[in-house]
Parts: sequence; structure tokens; C-alpha cells
Amino acid sequence: MTNVIQVAILGLLLGGVYALMAAGLTLAFGVMRIVNLAHAVFIIASAYISFFMFENLGLDPLLSVVIVMPLMFLFGVAVYQVLFRRIEGTPRYTEMTVLLTFGIAIIIEGLLGFFFTGIFRKADPEYATDSFIVSGLFLPEGDILFIPKGQFFATLLSMVLLFGLWGFLRYSQTGYAIRATMQNRAAAQIVGVNVRRVSAISFGLSTALAGASGALMSYLFPFFPFRHWQWVAVLLALVVLGGMGSIKGAVIGAFALGVASSFVVDRIGPTWGPMTFYLALFIILLVRPRGLFGKEVAV
Amino acid sequence: MPPILEISNINAGYGAGPNILQGLSLEVEEAKSYCIIGPNGAGKSTLFKVIAGLLHPRSGDVVFRGESLARRRPDQVLATGVCFVPQDQALFPEMSVRENLVMGAYLVRDRALVRQRMDRVYEMFPILKERAGQDAGKLSGGQQQMLAMGRALMIDPILLMLDEPSLGLAPQVAQQIFTRVRELEELGITVLIVEQNAQRGLELADWGVVLDLGIVRFEGPADGILEDPRIRELYLGKAASAGDTN
Amino acid sequence: MIEDRADASPEDSASEPVEAVVRPAGPARYRWYVLVGVLVILLSLPLMRPLISSYSYTMTLGALVFMWVAMTSSWNILGGYAGYISLGHSVFMGVGGYVAGVLLYYYDVSPFLTAPLGGLAAVALGFLAGFITLRTRGPAFIISTIALLFMFLLLFDNIEYLGGSAGLPLPSPPFPQDWLRTPFYYAMLLSAMGSVWLSYRVAHSKYGMGLRAIAEDETKAEVAGVPTRLYKISAFAMSAFWVGVVGAIYGYSISFVRPTVFFTVAISAQMVLMAIIGGKGTVAGPVLGAVLIYAINEFSLIAFGASEINIAIQGGLLVAVLLFFPLGIVGTLRKRNWLPAFLDWD
Repeated sequence: MTNVIQVAILGLLLGGVYALMAAGLTLAFGVMRIVNLAHAVFIIASAYISFFMFENLGLDPLLSVVIVMPLMFLFGVAVYQVLFRRIEGTPRYTEMTVLLTFGIAIIIEGLLGFFFTGIFRKADPEYATDSFIVSGLFLPEGDILFIPKGQFFATLLSMVLLFGLWGFLRYSQTGYAIRATMQNRAAAQIVGVNVRRVSAISFGLSTALAGASGALMSYLFPFFPFRHWQWVAVLLALVVLGGMGSIKGAVIGAFALGVASSFVVDRIGPTWGPMTFYLALFIILLVRPRGLFGKEVAV
Repeated sequence: MPPILEISNINAGYGAGPNILQGLSLEVEEAKSYCIIGPNGAGKSTLFKVIAGLLHPRSGDVVFRGESLARRRPDQVLATGVCFVPQDQALFPEMSVRENLVMGAYLVRDRALVRQRMDRVYEMFPILKERAGQDAGKLSGGQQQMLAMGRALMIDPILLMLDEPSLGLAPQVAQQIFTRVRELEELGITVLIVEQNAQRGLELADWGVVLDLGIVRFEGPADGILEDPRIRELYLGKAASAGDTN
Repeated sequence: MIEDRADASPEDSASEPVEAVVRPAGPARYRWYVLVGVLVILLSLPLMRPLISSYSYTMTLGALVFMWVAMTSSWNILGGYAGYISLGHSVFMGVGGYVAGVLLYYYDVSPFLTAPLGGLAAVALGFLAGFITLRTRGPAFIISTIALLFMFLLLFDNIEYLGGSAGLPLPSPPFPQDWLRTPFYYAMLLSAMGSVWLSYRVAHSKYGMGLRAIAEDETKAEVAGVPTRLYKISAFAMSAFWVGVVGAIYGYSISFVRPTVFFTVAISAQMVLMAIIGGKGTVAGPVLGAVLIYAINEFSLIAFGASEINIAIQGGLLVAVLLFFPLGIVGTLRKRNWLPAFLDWD
């Protein structure tokens, strides 16, 4: 029993981080119909930033979020203005964004590899290897639970950020505008929303979330430039599962699959963790293609 | 008095396609109501989209109260007081009725004013007050149309364009909508309405405009148009029989 | 199901239908001669050994270029004509490679014989995967191709029978050392010819028109009566065949099959880049793109060494083409009426 709880906890902590990563990705699609294949490479680039700040400045990765997020926000807005604005309104826009972000991902991967080489990197602040030890409570005599500190703080931060995002979307003027644009772009224009500005801000938000995720990744998982493809596959699967454009769906999906893959890793083997996500993707496509909370199949 | 809206020689089309509007010109006078009729493909919805800034004309100009709107973004057009209520898909389906109305006043800074206007809309459409917390996507067709109109009122428009407000609605519900439109006219708003049910639409309006092949073919007092045998036969005949099957 | 436009010509007399297909008139005739000429040269090149300085290198180079031509042309059937971008297409290469590899490793059957089987296995996978993933329109398909690729990488890494992550070593082909690379040259050339021929036939058929309708506006295509789901799935499956064949041959040529060789995004990325630069949706585009990108790669390898900068350059090329020449070289030239006849195969 304790073992089950342990595995579940690890899964939830994993899901918390995935939720943050997937939220940014699905936001970009929801608002602007952009499938951002470069999202994972943005995360890894941010991880490099956090990593080097830790190595050279001693800045704690969790704190580096404060620097990385605004930086990535500006970067995202810039990328949107320079690249996505150009293809606005072209036919088969979403397909174009796939190809465009594919190219961007490759460029950044190449640059990262060139400057930082392919060595595995991982920041190692103290909490990265420490765990909270929980005993007593409702646990059987003598049993203990390990709650890895690093993952715990990461999930905590992720929840704080996601909660902040939720509040922002729900209650702020810009948040309303973003939600309106997500639900009905034409109507948003008619009521006076500057959808272009909203789109740029949303993309910036999306990359800011990637930035925060990267700061977390810097100490949670070993990373190197080529790694982003694996993350892309997992994150995209999550986004489709939750329903493209649904932040709620992405978060729920992340936790659900985080726990599921944790059990898979525990019972079958560590290398099979990602398979959970891929299988879930194909099952969802078979059973309910629009995902958990997605709208009817849209083009 | 100069016209409040001057549309001059508009050529407009979608994508790389042909011109739907082919040199269309029209003058609209303040506080009057206009019903625009014509066969499908004549360019009625396209005209509204051009005025609203959703479609940029290839040539020609749209001047509202002395300002040119032709190259403006939709949000800029709205800021001048020109409000467009499209044929369908006008609402934010996952937002509540209340939130939709709030979005209608997106450009309004004064919170108290927004509340005031919302109360006015609730007065005009009591059913919306009843369902204030419900998701817009779950409303019936008639209620959605009322919400769309109510939302347009939140910006206190000077000129209001309604594209087929009674489309797909049962006759009694459509009648309710038309009554509301008449109330709007009485408020002094300049109303342009495209109406599939030409007879009903012309009954509501002061002035009738007949569009065909991308230009204004006929225009005149709405009563007169109903009586003119040429128009009656050409357009009301088609539109009326189409309207009957609605 | 597939009709040949040339057959529809009413002037064909009973004695000349073959002629009408084989020898169209006018500028097309000139184009035909150029193509045949090029093919003759390519086919006889290996036999002109005394004239070629580094024979093995030339054979290998040729084989690789033909391989990319074959794969990119195949990719184009779904990605270019139907507009459904497959980013995990290299999964088919791996399937073909492993089918032939396993048959060689365990049963001593030459991949030159089993390559078509590899192709068919890829087709089967294409049908199965397409059946699941082509139910929706839009980006879900694209995402699922990436997932499929990684799924297979994971699977093949962990199956002992297939050698796991180390793969299976394969014996060298039983040819004299001097002429070792030549059969691969021919095998790849034939594959390239087959792939381009398939692409050409699809493009010039009612089926191909249906695919293009899907690319342009799927709703309209459905409404017009095109069986979109069937077309999409079959296009996906067809686009897998030659990739599988080529995978089988490639594995043999490098003497091993290993997951990381085949199941990598880099290969898919190359296919996509080549098709887009050349002009996706055209017949000649992928061929041109394959040759061009391969040349650029070789050049940048020489100029910059085998560093990550090459990858960045490829990405940069892709982005530049997408923003400024989305129709690719062939497409853009055609639009401006500058397309030389020998590149106009549509």
C-alpha cells in the first residue's frame, strides 16, 4: 500500500511539472492556432540559462524563474512579431505554424549544440537530491514515504504559476480578451479586442511558461540540445489528450498521465515511462479524437 | 444634413477571389433605419464586413462621421461607434451571458457605466437577466440573438449593423427580435439590417436598399419598395418564397 | 481507380495507345528526351569505371542521393499532395530496415530480395497508424507521427530479439570488394525511379486530384463527394512503401540496423526540408530538393565540419523558404512562369 502511495506521489510530482510545460503549449494553440513544435527547445534553452546562472552566479534555479520568465516573455513576443505575423492569414495557417516552428526548433537546437555541445547538463542545488521523509500519519508502522524535495518545490512552483495564470485569465482585462480570442476570434475583434496584440501577448505568455519550465528542468532532468524532441512528443501527446487549446485539459491530463507513467515505470521499467504518453495519445485518438476537453474537431 | 456613413465605390472580395462588391456606393443618414435585401451572393454580408473592418476593400472608401474607416482594424472601427452583429457565431460560447455582455463593453473604461448599460440591456431583454450566469453556448437560438444584440448595445453604438438577426428562428421568436430592433431605432441608433425575410425587414425600416451583383440596384423609402412591381417580382418573389420555408 | 490522362485522348488510334503514353508531343517531348537521357547516364555510370576517379565514393554518393530522392518523393504523396505533414516518416525507413535486417540476420535472406517486403510492412504500418490518426483533421495527425516515431524508437531499443539498442550487425554483401557499392547504387536508383514514378502517377490521376482537393479545403472536398478518410489513409500507406524499401537497402549498405539510425527525427526533418525547398505538392520538387539539400549538406560539412551549425543552417533554410518561398523552388518558378520544361513534371 505504501508503495502504491509512493509511486502515486512521484507521479503527481512529475505531472505537476508536465502540467506547466503543457499549459504553455496548449495556450499557444488555443489563442492563435499555433502548434509550437519549438516549445520544448524553448524549455531547454531556458534550462541552459538557469543552469549557467546557477553554475556561474550561484543563483538558485527556483529563483532564476524570476529572471527567466520575463526574458522568455519578451523573446516570445519578439518571435511572434517577427515570424508569425508574416504568415498571419495565410491558408492552412496551422500547418504553416507546424513547419515554421519545426524549423525554429532545429535552428535553436543547432545553436545550442554549437555553443554548449551535447554534454548532459544538470544543475545540482541541494534540494535536487534531498527528500522529505514522511512517516506516521496513516502509514503502517515503520513505513516511510520519500518526497523528493526538488520535485516537490517544482510542483509547488508550477501550481503557483498555473493558479496565477488561471486568475489572470479569469479576472483581468487582458485575460478576458485572451479567453474571448480563444473562443471566437472574429467576435473578439468585433467587440474591440486587438487580436494581434492579444496574440503576441499570449505567445509571450506561452514562452514565459516554457521559461519557468526550463528553470525547473535545469535541476530535475539531465538535458542536452537534442533532448527536446523527446519532450515535444510527450508534451504534444499531452496536449492532444487534454484537448487542444484547453489548459484545464492539459493540466488534468498531465497529472493523470504523470501518475500512470509512474506506475508503468515502477512495474515495468524506467525506459517505458514515455510509452505511457504515446499509447495514451493513440488511444485517445481512437476513442475520442477531440481529447478530454477539446472542442469538436476543428481544422 | 450630411450622411453619417458614406460608402464610395467599394470593390472588395475574399482572398484571391473575384470582387464581390463591384463599385458599391451608398449614403446612410443618421438615426434612420435601412433594410438591405437582395439575392444570395449579392454582397450583403460582405458589405457589413467591409464597414466593420473585417475585410479590407480593394478600392473605394468608407467614411463615418468624417473619418475614413477603410483601412482600419475592427477594434478601431468599433471605437468610432460602429457596431457589427454577425449572422452567427457572434458569441463567446464558454463565457456566461454576463461575461459576454462585459466583453461587449471591452473598450469602455468606466466600470459604473458598464454596469449601468448592463442594467439597461437586462431591462430590454429580461430573459438575459434570468440566465445571466449560464454559458452562452447553451442558450436557445432566440436567446443567443438577443444576447448578441444586447452585447452590441453595451458599447452604446451610433451605428448598428445586424446581419440576418432572425435567421433560423421560429416566427414568434423572430417577431420578438424585430420588436427589439424597432426599439433600437427609437433610441436614435442608425440601424442597418440585412434580412432574409425581406417583407418583415422592410416593414421595420425607413429605407430599403436592394443589392444585386455587388452594387446598389434600387433604393428608396421602404414602403415604396414594397409596392414597386419590378422589385416585388424580382426580389420579394424569391426572398419571400425562401422566407416562407425558413 | 487510377486513370492515365494520356489514355483519355480521343485521337488515339487502336494501334497507337502505347505511343500516346510514351511519347507526348511538343515541349513535353523535349522534356522526355532530357529525362531519358539523364536516366541513361545514371544507369550506365557505374560501368564507366575507368572515367571515375573515386569510384566507391561516387557510388556511395549516388546511392545516398537516390535514397533521399526516393524518400522525399514518397513523403510528398501525403505531405505535398494531401497537405498532411508527416514528421515521423523515418519510422517507415526503420520498419523496412528491420524487416530486411531480421530476415538477413536470422534467415540469411538478402535484403535485395526482401526490400519489397520491408516496403509492404511499412505500408501495413501506414494503414494501421493512418486508420487511428487520420480520423481528425488538423494538427493531431502531425503530432501523432512524432509520437509514432518515438514509440518505435522506444520499442526497438528494448526488444532483445531485434538486438535492443545495439541493434543487429549484418554481414557484408557477397560481392567482390571492388564492386561492393555498385549494387546499392542500382538498388537505390531503381527505388528512386519507382518512387518518382509512383508520385507522378498519383499526381496525374483522379485520386491525386482528390488529394489536392483535401489539401485545399477538406470540408469542401467531403461535400463534393471525395472519400476523404479513405484517400488520406491510403496516401499515408502509399507514402510508406518506398521509404521502407530504401530502409531495407540502407541497413544492408551500412551493415547494421540499429534504432538510433532509423528512428530519428533528423531523417524526417531532412525529408520535410527537401520537399519544401524543392516544392512540395509538385512531382519534380522533391527530387530537386533532395539533390540540392544533399549538396548543401556536403558543402557545409566541408566548410564547417561535422558540427551542430549544420543543423542550425538547415533550420534556417527551412524557415527562410517557408517565409519567402513557401511554394519551394519548383512551385515559385512555376508561379512566375520561369519553370524550365524539364522540371515541369506536373
